[in-house]
Amino acid sequence: MAAGVLLVIETSAGTLRDASLELIAPAAALANGGSVTAVVVGSGAAGAAQAVAERGVGHVLLADNAALERYTTDGYTAAIEAAIAAVDPAVVLLIGTTAGRDLGPYLAARAGSDCLSDTTALRWDGDTLVGTRPVYGGKMLSDVRLTVPTGGRAFAVLRAGQSAPPAAAGDTGSVEPLAVEIAADALRVRLTGVAEKPAGGVNLEGAEVVVVGGRGLGSKDAFGLVEQLAEVLHAPVGATRAVTDLGWRPHFEQIGQTGKTVRPKLYVGIGVSGAVQHTVGMQNSETIVSINRDADSPLVRMADIGVIGDLHALVPAITAAIKAAQG
Amino acid sequence: MKILVPVKQVPDPNALRFDTSGHFAASTPREINEYDSYALEAAIQLRESGAATEVVVMTVGATGARDAVNRGLAMGADRGVHVTSDGLTAAQVAAAIVVEAQNGYDAVIVGQETSDGGTGNVGPTVAAHLGFPLVSNVVELAFSGGSFALQREVEDGRHIVEVDTPVVICVLTGLNDPRSPSLKGIMAARRKAVEERAASDTADAAVAWGNLYAEERRAQGVIIDDADPAVAAQRLVELLREKKAI
Repeated sequence: MAAGVLLVIETSAGTLRDASLELIAPAAALANGGSVTAVVVGSGAAGAAQAVAERGVGHVLLADNAALERYTTDGYTAAIEAAIAAVDPAVVLLIGTTAGRDLGPYLAARAGSDCLSDTTALRWDGDTLVGTRPVYGGKMLSDVRLTVPTGGRAFAVLRAGQSAPPAAAGDTGSVEPLAVEIAADALRVRLTGVAEKPAGGVNLEGAEVVVVGGRGLGSKDAFGLVEQLAEVLHAPVGATRAVTDLGWRPHFEQIGQTGKTVRPKLYVGIGVSGAVQHTVGMQNSETIVSINRDADSPLVRMADIGVIGDLHALVPAITAAIKAAQG
Repeated sequence: MKILVPVKQVPDPNALRFDTSGHFAASTPREINEYDSYALEAAIQLRESGAATEVVVMTVGATGARDAVNRGLAMGADRGVHVTSDGLTAAQVAAAIVVEAQNGYDAVIVGQETSDGGTGNVGPTVAAHLGFPLVSNVVELAFSGGSFALQREVEDGRHIVEVDTPVVICVLTGLNDPRSPSLKGIMAARRKAVEERAASDTADAAVAWGNLYAEERRAQGVIIDDADPAVAAQRLVELLREKKAI
């Protein structure tokens, strides 16, 4: 039976991408008694490597190179392929960041294999790697099966937020440098700058209540309903990527993978379907309310309370009821 | 510059409803995958600006998939390719795109992912097989002097990058404002060539998909679906009070 797992730990400007740590528990479960090795990719990433070694990974390879300061497909590919050559794993596991979702299928194609992308759980069935996949925007699930070719390996990308990162423990695994040669012209995509996320507006991250509008509202004008409910709840307004794209709301209100991460006591989503790009930024909210016309939408499924119906009738009624309850 | 835009016809995500056995109605309207219309618009703008000489829209799928090619032609793509194979995995679709892309293309511009299977695997897989550099999550795109200047939306904010052709570019929404086909465009599309062919030597799929099934609802989740909004609102307030959330 195939054995041995390589997990890929991403960094940016030397800082650990925390979501990567969520791979540690699933990697141990998939190891089949084989080894678990982490490859930490970055520049000035020794601290990140140490953090991984303190979390129960016995063997950590540190691919540290100035050319790896931030993600590029070519740079990360060179580092991860060097790690694959060093440990010959049955499975290469990545986290579903924007980089991980590039690299899984890219590396798999280069290795003549395939990749189970955007999975929420992974398990073995004999020599077949089985992943649980949300499809059709998370309305349904499917179990996808990847048979590992003899002598080959499987690639899989796990959705962020599915597994808790282990706490740092006393026992520390070993960190070993991994030499990666990257020629000056090897990075075909040249990173010339980084623009920080748009700043401004209220402090969404620290808010106790957040009211979020999605594309299900149907128009920019309908956002007035969101604002009115937010006002009675003394909450800032957040938005999905779709909504900021459409110009209905400013970009600094965007919550999700490439936006802000919120963890309020109460999250209210209005016309928000619950695409993973949004839910990774709000899934740790204490109480989740989803107001939507579609009972099958992923956010209704993950909600503590789903309110189903016409938003244009429901939201004013809810605003009035909360106002009345406040006396 | 010659640009290939692979597109897909998908069930309208807003109209999609599944029954308990994981099927949806055959009458569910279909439309071009949303991200793909941004890829088409980007390519067509490059031809209109003179940076590109030809834009080819292609799809891999059953007969109905042709509608996505027709939409691309009506928007302004020059010609179409329809590979008439159905039920392929992302890797097999990518292989069919690679076959076409080897016909002297300088750029493959593709949507970041589809709204149905949604693996996001096609762009990276095509890039790897072609040996082209990959730039994903693109929200700004310009071309001059033989190279692209692009912005990628990532966790850090935006990565600003440059890359020479040939290249595979995966785009997000927000990149541009995709045009609706005009009547003139629709008429013109009827005269444009669409090459139809079967997928050649489709390799065996390494990945097998299982049946669709619904996720268990969160155990403690409550659904309020009263017809009267005031009743529903009152029920919500009671529940939020019980949870001390308000």
